[in-house]
Amino acid sequence: MTPLIELKHVYRHFEVNRQRLPVLQDINLSIAANEIVCLVGESGCGKTTTGKILAGLLGPSSGEVLIEGRPRASYTGREAALLRRALQIVHQDPFASINPAHTIGQILGFPLQRHGMVRSRAELRRRIWELLTLVDLTPPGDIVNKFPHQLSGGQRQRVSIARVLTVNPRLIVADEAVSMVDVSIRIGILKMLHRLREQLNLSIVFITHDLALAKYFAWDGRIAVMYLGRIVEIGRTPDVIAHPAHPYTRALLAAVPEADPELTRHKQHLELRSEDIPRLTEIPPGCAFHPRCPFFVPGVCDTRVPPLEPPPDYNQLAACIPLVETGRLIPYTERVNPDGR
Amino acid sequence: MSVKSTVPPAASPVRQMRYLKPFRQRVGEALSSYTARVLLQGLFTVFAVMTFTFFLVRLMPGNPVDIKIDQLMQTQGLTYEQARSQAAGLFDMDLNAPVGQQYLTYVQRVLRGDLGKSILSAGTPVADIIWRFLPWTLFSVGLGLLVSFALGVLIGAAMAYWRGGILDNVMTAVASILYSIPEYIIALLIILVAGVQLQLFQVGELRGGFNPDVAPGFTLEFIGSILKHATLPVITYVLATIGGWILAMKSSTISTLGEDYITVAKARGLSERRVLTAYVGRNALLPLVTRLSVSIGLVVGGSVIVEELFQYPGLGRQLLRAINGRDYTVMQGIFLIIAISVVASTIIADLMLGWLDPRVRVGQKATKG
Amino acid sequence: MPNDVVVSVRDLSVSYLARRGRVRAVNRASFDLHAGETLALIGESGCGKSTLNLALIRQLPKNATIDSGSILYTRRDKSVVDVLKLNKAELRRFLWSEFAMVFQGALNSLNPVIRVSDMVYDTAAAHGLNKAAAEKRALHLFEKVRLDPYRVFRAYPHELSGGMRQRVLLAMSLLLQPQVVIMDEPTTAVDILTQRSILDVLQTLREELNFSVIFISHDLAVAAEIADTIATMYAGDIVEVGPVNEVFYRPRHAYTLALLNAAPRLSAGAEELYSIPGSPPDLIHPPPGCKFHPRCTFATEVCRTVLPPLVAAEAGHQVACHHTDDVVTAYRKVSRA
Repeated sequence: MTPLIELKHVYRHFEVNRQRLPVLQDINLSIAANEIVCLVGESGCGKTTTGKILAGLLGPSSGEVLIEGRPRASYTGREAALLRRALQIVHQDPFASINPAHTIGQILGFPLQRHGMVRSRAELRRRIWELLTLVDLTPPGDIVNKFPHQLSGGQRQRVSIARVLTVNPRLIVADEAVSMVDVSIRIGILKMLHRLREQLNLSIVFITHDLALAKYFAWDGRIAVMYLGRIVEIGRTPDVIAHPAHPYTRALLAAVPEADPELTRHKQHLELRSEDIPRLTEIPPGCAFHPRCPFFVPGVCDTRVPPLEPPPDYNQLAACIPLVETGRLIPYTERVNPDGR
Repeated sequence: MSVKSTVPPAASPVRQMRYLKPFRQRVGEALSSYTARVLLQGLFTVFAVMTFTFFLVRLMPGNPVDIKIDQLMQTQGLTYEQARSQAAGLFDMDLNAPVGQQYLTYVQRVLRGDLGKSILSAGTPVADIIWRFLPWTLFSVGLGLLVSFALGVLIGAAMAYWRGGILDNVMTAVASILYSIPEYIIALLIILVAGVQLQLFQVGELRGGFNPDVAPGFTLEFIGSILKHATLPVITYVLATIGGWILAMKSSTISTLGEDYITVAKARGLSERRVLTAYVGRNALLPLVTRLSVSIGLVVGGSVIVEELFQYPGLGRQLLRAINGRDYTVMQGIFLIIAISVVASTIIADLMLGWLDPRVRVGQKATKG
Repeated sequence: MPNDVVVSVRDLSVSYLARRGRVRAVNRASFDLHAGETLALIGESGCGKSTLNLALIRQLPKNATIDSGSILYTRRDKSVVDVLKLNKAELRRFLWSEFAMVFQGALNSLNPVIRVSDMVYDTAAAHGLNKAAAEKRALHLFEKVRLDPYRVFRAYPHELSGGMRQRVLLAMSLLLQPQVVIMDEPTTAVDILTQRSILDVLQTLREELNFSVIFISHDLAVAAEIADTIATMYAGDIVEVGPVNEVFYRPRHAYTLALLNAAPRLSAGAEELYSIPGSPPDLIHPPPGCKFHPRCTFATEVCRTVLPPLVAAEAGHQVACHHTDDVVTAYRKVSRA
């Protein structure tokens, strides 16, 4: 089946202070209709840029973006307009993305009218009511005349999701969409996104730095782990979370505290060889993670850029040459001191 | 009990070296390149203004040269050719030469420090006029700005610190009113109210830069006379600009007081004085320094009417005379000086900002982790 | 409990004067902090945990007042200080040498225009410590928090990464060997691996220097890892206090239970989580009775009218809930399902 959207060998760089920052390198990612994909990684890993490219807010510096098998550039005129509506993004801070001077009714009404989605005032009203009900802001009559500042953080985020839904999207990129929302309310919004995905046949790309949240949200989907502009591991969520392959994913998972005192205190951490994250201007050669990797193999990891391949005994893809070639990882210290002294 | 592998967090000597050496170098390099960049930008601006002024004089429809030729033809009954050659003598440039070449000659002269000769007071070099009147303007405007900035910053900071107090409420109103009155109105008010109505001083006596009866020299009497004569323009400049400083400093201080590092500094038990100077004051001042540069430049040009009203022998008054008398070489020269002063003050402010704010020095480039 | 209480807070109430009325941010909060103990105050934004923290060091904004209560602090020599009664000069000397703190948002906690070394010297000067001794101690602490001491000491804040800045703050808080360090969300807004290194560093420091910590967080996982004692706050009230395992494995307050049921666990596989319906109450006009009752699944008539007091349950566990027993059984069902 043709994926809804596919990135092929996508590179993206930015020019900052006359320095070239390679923010994305060789990203290959396809998202099927109705699929959930989580992009996880630390700040500066390129997950937001990937999200923007998927949503069409940014173009790649090189590489291809295919939509239902056709290059994005081949969509012109009315098709291009439809495409823009089909791919939508929800940002982290609803306060920054919705106009504080408009009522909720206006915020939802403008795109509906602008894109000619409604024919009459009665239909407009009906559609706004429908959207607010869809995002659990009920009764809509209580909400529609309020201003954003009169709503709670969770409610505001629901409004920004409802606004995205006005144009009947096929894909929603949710960039840290619940990071600013309180713990007790997050789950409600995530559950709603799940429900919307089923009801409206949406694909969702969920961008987060919170692995536990990613695991919960994308349990039926896939997780892609990014590091310094590359995807280092991608696979079905249960596989990646339960049996992480790439050393970076292992380090991340081992580092996350758990909301369970006994478990979290006995968790085995993976100590990195360095705590410094290299700058994007000085990405290490070979595998970008090698200067920090506890399983570093000199001569291999620092010379060859690892491709995403299936390691033996794993169901996912990982970009780690020693693991793919030998099926196991040996700690660098053991390699240097085989006697353990 | 977390079982950890025994890899040490690589603090090898190599790593230390890598940090220590380039760190110093980097700051040194950034500073020098920053200074160089600022200076180059300044030179370019002055050059651009010079060029612009030149072509304005030379190429505007009904250009100054033609107007002079017309004037000469009408008033002295000369033929066009005669008037043209006389005008050429006045302008000290060859009007038959192509514009490009004239421009090159002009630039060459300016580079040598030769700004040409005045048309109005024929034969007097423009440079002499500027040297004679510039010090008065620099002195009065500079003193006014200094007093206004210092007072404004202190008052604004105090208002923010005791926010909502009497000082804050009264001064906010006063500052807003002062801020909205143009300086020539303030000058007129001073003359009419303090001078004419209340007879606090004799307006006529305070004409000029100093009392002509006092012999110039390094004497107390002479210096006193200079100060006395500068009082009214300086007060005008202070009143005209202080409102802006007060309001700007107040809002800047209020936002600085809300910063976490202020709470942390207080929580660290620092003395109130240290918190107010190194933590609040220095950070609150940063946005004002940029503003300062803009106003220095503008006030030099903006002193025209005030100097005329007080009959103060500054450059602004000369500019007004030059405009009235169509003394284009003098105008050209004064505009050049204004441009240089704007640029110079911007450079000084930029360098000051670099000195006050380490983040600017490295060209806004923070190490992101 | 042995007599090793360092901080004893009793009936502390704090309110803000807002345009719409009086915001009751903290209501009659009481707790004890023992020597070497880490107490985590958990709750959502606006629950009053940060206000409580600012009240402890008396750095509340001008529109806030402490309406009642006492904060008693026991020095190493066993003399007792009433923090609320200290005058300005005494408070200045008291802060940082006895009570230090690490703020959220390392970005803004350091003065951007002066070097780290100057901040160290400033702190030393304010407490009569000489420069050389302060420098020596700072360098030692920087090394302890796994920073390159000489580089960091001379750096400006913007030259350091977020994680490094957070560790600088951690080291600075220990400069004068305080007995208590208050930490307000020190690992929020940092990356996973940075958070890990901060938590590890904190663990090492606590083992070596044996200070007490009041840790403020909305992150249950971080609290579970580092706290000895958990205090849950809701709408300005401390609703449950107890040893960490007690609170996590036998929660007795409906709100704590609801928070636990909303927190995803990485190692739990597919799990069912539950959101808490509604949103936190308006603190100017809080609901009568138990403030959580409009969102609580256990709420009955008594919850709507009577404010439950914080009473001792067992094993150092205190709770303010009318339906403690129902909560305990409900948790068993959820966790074993």
